[in-house]
Amino acid sequence: MSRVQSISIAFSAFIAFAVGLLTLLSLLLGDRPELYGELADAPEIARLLALPAALLVRLVAITSAVTIFIGIFNLLYVHLHRVLRGAFFSIVLVASFALTIWWYWSRQGDTTLLEAVQVPIESALAALLFLSMVQGGARVLSKRADIWGLLFVAVMVLVLLGSLPLESMEPLEPLRAWSDWLLAVPVSAGARALLLGIALGAVVTGVRVLLGQDRSYRG
Amino acid sequence: MDDSALQIYTILFVAITILLVYSSRVFHARRASPLSRGALPGFKRLPGWVGRAIESGSPLHLSFGSAGIDAENAAVAAAEAELFYHIIQTVQSGDVAPVISASSSATIPLCQDTLRRAWPGEGRRARAQWLPQGQRSMAFAAGLTATMPAEQPAAHILAGSFGPELALILDSARRQGQGSFAVSDQLEGNAVAYAMADEVLIGEQLFSAAARLSHDSAARADASAQDAWRGILIALMAILMLINVTGQLGFGGLPLLVGVALALIALGIMFFRSR
Repeated sequence: MSRVQSISIAFSAFIAFAVGLLTLLSLLLGDRPELYGELADAPEIARLLALPAALLVRLVAITSAVTIFIGIFNLLYVHLHRVLRGAFFSIVLVASFALTIWWYWSRQGDTTLLEAVQVPIESALAALLFLSMVQGGARVLSKRADIWGLLFVAVMVLVLLGSLPLESMEPLEPLRAWSDWLLAVPVSAGARALLLGIALGAVVTGVRVLLGQDRSYRG
Repeated sequence: MDDSALQIYTILFVAITILLVYSSRVFHARRASPLSRGALPGFKRLPGWVGRAIESGSPLHLSFGSAGIDAENAAVAAAEAELFYHIIQTVQSGDVAPVISASSSATIPLCQDTLRRAWPGEGRRARAQWLPQGQRSMAFAAGLTATMPAEQPAAHILAGSFGPELALILDSARRQGQGSFAVSDQLEGNAVAYAMADEVLIGEQLFSAAARLSHDSAARADASAQDAWRGILIALMAILMLINVTGQLGFGGLPLLVGVALALIALGIMFFRSR
């Protein structure tokens, strides 16, 4: 690695660290005059401390908006490459893209095309999703022939039966009670445990990025 | 809890995490082997898929889902970029560059960057692909299932942020005889992955997965810091639960609390050593 590369890596890591720390502190300490007790200019201090975070977060929002153009450019680049290879769906995509742009411009921002095509197709896919999930659930035992697979299927069947809207069927009452208990206690506890684990992982990864130790900063 | 107390706890939390990460790094600095992959059975079939990709000249398909570096799940995108880096390195000797897809446009530069670092060969320009998500995630699943058959990937490594739409992608992969590995930061995605993917990781394994494939001591240290935090949280929750239970029982409070806590600690140590 050349000296210039080393300096540029160290510089980008420093920028990441400085900006990350500044934003974190600004978000935590800014905009809260009560933190500065009896100081006469407490509101002004709080406002000044909140400024860097507000500025940087706004910058992120603008950059995110710009990345939409990167996305569109990427989409066209990838699919025009595929069109040259004769990929049918890519031809459909590029043609739909051109048609939608033309429609939108020629009809002063009319979104009928989007609403008439994309929304029904997405709804149809949502219905298909249900079938895929039921089919996948039914295949669990062939994939995982162990106690956990069995438990997964048993709980799934119990919750499905418990959710049936058959108010008059008395034999289903105990099932409904079991289903409610399952959802309220073990499922809720498991979900919280999963979310806690994910949150901890996110914090550790965030700290890694904050310290400029992410691979993106290591050249 | 008022706002100022919450802020102090947050700063303390971040400071302790930084301390844990640095101390883990010092502790792991001299070790050069990756963490045991045995602890994560989800990687069992990965060598087979890598071999198939190299031998058959087909790519691997890696996907971030809706994880985006401009969104709340930015940490997921950063962690998965690290995982993808290590997976792509294992297929470096193949002829075809892997395909990386994402539904967040802000993740496209991350996809390109990961490919640039991990894939030294040619043909990576059109391999990072954006599939817009739209109002619902179905458009992303539809886009993937429509475009991926042309690529004929050896396997789909779906690690990032996925909801129930994962079912459509995994179903399509199964129909075409392609392998699938899935992990998501969303509960629905986790459930679907467990039921339908060939290999699966659950919850926080999403963040420690890269350390299992890496010889990098920093990645292992981060995974250890995460384990340490988890241990601290479990211990705190157990102590609070014991205090609550002994308070309700109303007899022998403290001795019972100490006895059960010691038993739990002993069990925890035994479990940790057995791993």
